Order: sequence, then C-alpha cells, then structure tokens
Amino acid sequence: MDQPKRTEIFSGEEIEDAIAAGLSAMGLTRDQVTVEVLDEGSRGILGIGSKPARVRLLPIPRPDPTPPPVASVATIEPVAELQPEPPAGEETPDVTAVAREMMAELLKRLGFDAEVEVSQAERAPDEDTAPIILDVYGAGVDELIGRKGDTLAALQEITRLMMGKRLGQRTNLIVDVEGYKQRRERNLRSLARRMAEQAAQTGRRAYLEPMSPYERRIIHLELREHPDVETISVGDGPRRRVTIVPKT
Amino acid sequence: MSEMKDLVEYIAKSLADEPALVNVSEIEGENSVILELRVGPEDMGRIIGRGGRTANAMRTLVRVLAAKQGKRVTLEIV
Repeated sequence: MDQPKRTEIFSGEEIEDAIAAGLSAMGLTRDQVTVEVLDEGSRGILGIGSKPARVRLLPIPRPDPTPPPVASVATIEPVAELQPEPPAGEETPDVTAVAREMMAELLKRLGFDAEVEVSQAERAPDEDTAPIILDVYGAGVDELIGRKGDTLAALQEITRLMMGKRLGQRTNLIVDVEGYKQRRERNLRSLARRMAEQAAQTGRRAYLEPMSPYERRIIHLELREHPDVETISVGDGPRRRVTIVPKT
Repeated sequence: MSEMKDLVEYIAKSLADEPALVNVSEIEGENSVILELRVGPEDMGRIIGRGGRTANAMRTLVRVLAAKQGKRVTLEIV
C-alpha cells in the first residue's frame, strides 16, 4: 500500500462524485492526485441505460503542491490507452497486484496460511478479456473447496464483488484451489467426449449429472463442434443438467 | 474480537458504500454462534445480493471458520 504510484479507479453518479469518493477512500485532497476521466457516465432515459462516471486517481508522488504537467485528461471515450502504466496485457499490473493482496487478506481472515499464485487464463471465444486466475496453495486449503466446490464458488463470488467494488468495474477473475478447477475441467471434458460417443452410437440422449453453470459451460464448449451431437441444458436451478442429443 | 465476527465485518465493509454503518454483533452459545450483521439502508441490497447470493456466499465462508472451531454458525442480516 505504500507505493505512491498506485492508481485506483472509482465510480460515482457524476464525475465529481467519483472523484470525491476516490479522494475520501485514498485519504487525499484534490491537489494531491491526477484525475483521469475514464467514463463520463450518462443519466440514460428515466434511469434506464444510465452509466456511472468512472475516474482513475493517480497520487502525485511529490510532497510539493505544484500541479503536475498533465493535470487532467478528459475524454468521452472509456479507452484503455489512457492508462499510464504499460499497456502490455489486457489487465494492468495493478489489477493483478490488487487481486493478490485482497485474496491474501481474505485467506488470512479465513484462518489459512496460504500462497496465491496469479496467472492469466486463455480467453474464451466469447469473452472480451482473459480472466485472471487466482490459485490458492497451502496447508489444509482443500477445506476451501467444499462439497461439489460450493465453498470455492462462494470464495470466488465474494472475491469478485470485493474486486469490483475496489476497482469500480467488473473483474473477470477465477479463484481456484490447488488447481482443483483445472483438474475438474479436464475430467468434465473427457466425460463430455465419452458421453457424446455413447449418445452418437446408441442414438439415444445421454443425461449428465446436475452441474453449476460454469461446469455446464465447459461441457457445451467441449462439444460445440462435435459432428454427431448437440447439447442442451434441461431443468431448473440446482437440478439443471446437460443433455447430449444425437443429431438425426 | 472473534474471527468469525471479524471475517463478516471485513467482507461487509469491503462491499459497502458506507462501511462506517457496518456493524456485526455476536451471540455465542455453547456449540453455536449467531452473527447479526447490520448495514446502512443503502447497502442492504448490495450485501444481500440478487436472490440472496451474496449473503449466502458470506454464510458459506463463515462456516469454514465455524467448522474449524467445531461450531454451528448462523448469519442473519437484520
């Protein structure tokens, strides 16, 4: 937290609200930061389609109150080029650092002495950005998986929300425990292929176990280009399951 | 401060627009703990989440700590 160069993104109904929120969160005054307007926001019509304004605050490292050369960059486009940090990846190093720090803190409070390994996942064909993977390692961390991965799902949900709140935008991140999801994904893919062969050979539908949306998606993606079968999800809520239908 | 109370408070404060209004009280029985989470009126929806999603995720996480202590925990948002 003591690097003065860290930038943070805040949102508010209007630009001034976003700046005020950021200043109070960072404990700084208006002349101690450089403001970049990422998104001016819009009110929408009757509140429909309204978007919050988003600003990035960069603390000015020097203690003297001289304004910085670029005092503010205002633009209507919420573009990535505004980032002063290297634009190498799709996520700035900041996001990774914040994610790691937040995850470590949460794990400590959950009573685990664990390491967090951060990596970038492959971008799925229908996603705009590649998700960040936070993989947790350490003694006893399998307690964080839970029955059918439900504790892990809760951990991911809370981490996403906390990140979203902190950065003022949705973050595409995946929380894993000792590669559990990766192993599970491999197993699901091979299950999908086996069941698809079975359905194709017998000409009868194959029903899989009820699964989470994330897991059903893995099955659908795996069989998307299969020549002999189609996949659909049937059922409601926790009973929803993938059905493999032979093409006729 | 108990770890369970501390955890709930940490999460709720991280998610709230008004962290100053977040308050958790703890009622401890022999084998069970009841946590009462209070947040500002503006933050109620955010803390509960769509269909209670966020509240349930917090319950699941606080249960990890409860299990370590061999206790049952109930988290109520009041």
